[in-house]
Amino acid sequence: MMKINPVLQKEMKIRMRGWRSAGMIGIYLVFMALTASFIMIMSRESYYRVTFDPELALGSYTGLAIMQFVLISFISPALTTGAISGEREKQTLDLLLCTRMTPLSIVTGKLFASISQIILLIIASLPIFSIVFLFGGISIKELLELFGFFIIIAITYGSIGIFYSSYFKRTTAANVLAYGTIAFLCFGTIFLTIFYIGIVYNYDYRGFFPLLYINPIIGFSFMLWEQFSGGSINLFPGLFMGTGISTYNISPWIVNLVFNIVLSILLIFLSANKINPLRIRRRTLFSSSKKSLNNIQYKKTKR
Amino acid sequence: MLKINGLTKSYGIFTAVDGLDLNVPKGEIYGFVGPNGAGKTTTMKIICGLLPADKGQVSVAGIDVIKDVRKAKELIGYMPDFFGVYDNLKVTEYLDFYASIYNLNPRDRKRICDDLLELVDLQDKRDAYVDSLSRGMKQRLCLARSLVHNPELLVLDEPASGMDPRARVEMKEILRTLKDLGKTIMISSHILPELAELCTSIGIIDRGKIVISGTVDEIMQQVYSKRFIKVRIRGNMEEAVKVMKESPLITNINKGDNFIEAGFEGNEEEMAMLLKELVTRDIPVISFGQMDGNLEDVFMKVTKGDEA
Repeated sequence: MMKINPVLQKEMKIRMRGWRSAGMIGIYLVFMALTASFIMIMSRESYYRVTFDPELALGSYTGLAIMQFVLISFISPALTTGAISGEREKQTLDLLLCTRMTPLSIVTGKLFASISQIILLIIASLPIFSIVFLFGGISIKELLELFGFFIIIAITYGSIGIFYSSYFKRTTAANVLAYGTIAFLCFGTIFLTIFYIGIVYNYDYRGFFPLLYINPIIGFSFMLWEQFSGGSINLFPGLFMGTGISTYNISPWIVNLVFNIVLSILLIFLSANKINPLRIRRRTLFSSSKKSLNNIQYKKTKR
Repeated sequence: MLKINGLTKSYGIFTAVDGLDLNVPKGEIYGFVGPNGAGKTTTMKIICGLLPADKGQVSVAGIDVIKDVRKAKELIGYMPDFFGVYDNLKVTEYLDFYASIYNLNPRDRKRICDDLLELVDLQDKRDAYVDSLSRGMKQRLCLARSLVHNPELLVLDEPASGMDPRARVEMKEILRTLKDLGKTIMISSHILPELAELCTSIGIIDRGKIVISGTVDEIMQQVYSKRFIKVRIRGNMEEAVKVMKESPLITNINKGDNFIEAGFEGNEEEMAMLLKELVTRDIPVISFGQMDGNLEDVFMKVTKGDEA
């Protein structure tokens, strides 16, 4: 029989109990439904057209995808920033660590409990998302690509949240830093790119600036762009979008996904190491190197 | 069952545990006593694999805690000096969660949880939410939690702190039952009378070192070479003090309202002679007897801490 991680099992039980989870699903669906209604109102003009309108299909799909991306970006870190610091605040972390559970299984149990909630939100929004099929032009492959991207993004943002949660005692501090890091990845990289290109290339840069590979918004935009467009556009210096004259060999959204996966694995291991009470502390290493430094100095003076 | 050799742990320049040696045989209730900051919790956390040691060896049932911590954790049940409970979880779910960590199948988990709830007398609260329990109940539940995997060694850090007298008595009863079940228990406290009647042996720790260790009687003998007597009298106090001072065996007389306490460096026959002398000299003696060992005095004598 497959054994479910006990922390994941317990977290899912606690999270699904009470009104909070139902409330979150409700609010999420309200936002998605409002977006869908907005698209419907906008499309009323072309309602009686018999012919296929590719612009409308693209508009509804993009609108719902963007709304889902924004919601997941806000919800994922919020679900994990209290994961470890909350255990510390409730004084239950030591109780978990003195059992036979490894720190890694505690961290992954916590993270996947949050991811399962995000998956639940995505599944709950499927009936609303199916509106895009009214207009046609969207294949299952594209939808799967989109949902796969969302899950990876949720894991990445969740890992960022859990990383700060294990390094900081207070959930508030973990929250601020997690959203700060996500804001840096989403917007900070764009500002840095423009700033750098402005100074070094005097804004004369045609192509895709490498720093933008780590930007989730750019990755997400590229995925949508490649799903629908064959055109090319230079949005701002350093961000050339298009499939024609490109300066990249692999699609930026694929690179972004790989970066997100690697970053998530790294953060999960760092978090597990941080909560491991028997880890080799840097301070110990530092103090031992300090001791050997003192010995060297002592030998020198002795000589 | 538990062996500690030369255990050392420092936090920066502060040495919390300083070359500590300890041996707790199987089936003992070992009282680990010391003032606040003496190193009790640090030692217990190292035993449970919650803190790395700087030096020394710790073994539980022959398993090296430092080298094979995961295996050792299966033999240890740890109850810290705080509750650590989740909101939104019922009593049975709380126990079931910890039991599931130890790979027990659901049917066994249910039976173990029922048995443990009976042991700690919380059967009536099985469907109550954990955060709705009283302090004493939470403490008993935490004790049950530390027993879900049937550990051989129980490490209890200040289990009676903040409990009312009834809850303390109940906790003692549970610990006696566990002793009868063959568990080895290490229990820490900074309040000695709490442990004196419960423990089979006691170790007093101060500034990271065991200053004295053994059974309560052994400790008393090591610290005091003399007996203490208490004489309750009804009036004629001055005369009684005078009679006692005349005896060369009496030291350190302490006068109360209607009693006298004093050190006595003689045997039982000489004690009887002293009583006879008091009665012959018309002192109205109500009671005359040897005082029980006052461990708190021992504690104050052997430790140099600021608080006790």
